[in-house]
Amino acid sequence: MITLTICLMACIIFLSRYGFLEPRLPITLNAATLRFLSYSAPAVLTAIWGPIVFVSEHELNLNWQNHYLVCAVFAIVLAITTRNTLLTTIVSMMLFFGLRAWYM
Amino acid sequence: MSLPLIDDLKHTPSQRWFKGALAVLPLSIAVIPWGILAGSLALDAGLNPLESQAMSAIVFAGAAQLVAVGMIKAGVGLGSILITTLLITSRHFLYSMAMRPNISPLPLKWRLTLGFLLTDELFAILAAGKQSKDKPQSFDRWYALGVGLSFYLVWNMATLVGIIAGSQIPNLDSWGLDFAIAATFIAIVTPQINRPSILICVLVSLVASVVCELFQVPSGLLIAAIMGMTVGTLYAKATGEKQ
Repeated sequence: MITLTICLMACIIFLSRYGFLEPRLPITLNAATLRFLSYSAPAVLTAIWGPIVFVSEHELNLNWQNHYLVCAVFAIVLAITTRNTLLTTIVSMMLFFGLRAWYM
Repeated sequence: MSLPLIDDLKHTPSQRWFKGALAVLPLSIAVIPWGILAGSLALDAGLNPLESQAMSAIVFAGAAQLVAVGMIKAGVGLGSILITTLLITSRHFLYSMAMRPNISPLPLKWRLTLGFLLTDELFAILAAGKQSKDKPQSFDRWYALGVGLSFYLVWNMATLVGIIAGSQIPNLDSWGLDFAIAATFIAIVTPQINRPSILICVLVSLVASVVCELFQVPSGLLIAAIMGMTVGTLYAKATGEKQ
């Protein structure tokens, strides 16, 4: 039963990832669709990071003692000023874990 | 239209592979605790070690795995597990559609491989590359493989650690490693905001995702993303914004 569950889950997930990559699938993406899809990366990625930063334990946390929020603001400022993805990620992570260690 | 397929020919495939692996490294590190959790929770739910590893090796989808394992443990039926899987995985339809111009012209083995590896993380890194100003629409298959495959290997090694030692590692989910995900995605998204419509798309998606999370709306991520994309597109159309 578990083997069957794993195999069926794998099929569903693979099809969702591969589906539109199949060239024989008879769809052509017109300019309007491509334009709509060009917003997918900022929209999806923001929808992933938003809740991590603003929500703790099912509640909105706009407190400045929320390290996620402070460090996210820092990361945004750093990203705007440096435009360097790796540097922004690493420096803001260092600040985050530094703050956590300090306040533990 | 620029060519959708631009391979970097100045570097060898292995150099490009490692460049991809390096680009995804912060996300690979961030995923380690979740991989360990996926392994240890699978064992806890009654899967044997082989099944627990197979979950990561062939399903390879963090959120779906963690939820499914919880449902198996709770004795939920197969139908409900599969419907939940479909809901969680539905954002991948969006990713494969967005990557269609780049990946669908590749040979079958590349399509199958990159399709199998198409996670949030691979999409994020490739989307960051596509937006770069000097090489618009750039897409390098070896770079993409480096991102996807190195991430896959880390996920599976972390799962193995979880299977072997998971129950002995306390409070994994309280380490705050999810901030690494937030930091990386902020670092990728922020430089992409170069037009008012993208800023509006991001703000709508941000508010909607937080509201969905607070009300625990199923598939909130997808709902929020589609709202952001729709409002951004409509704004661009209404104002006649140039791309």
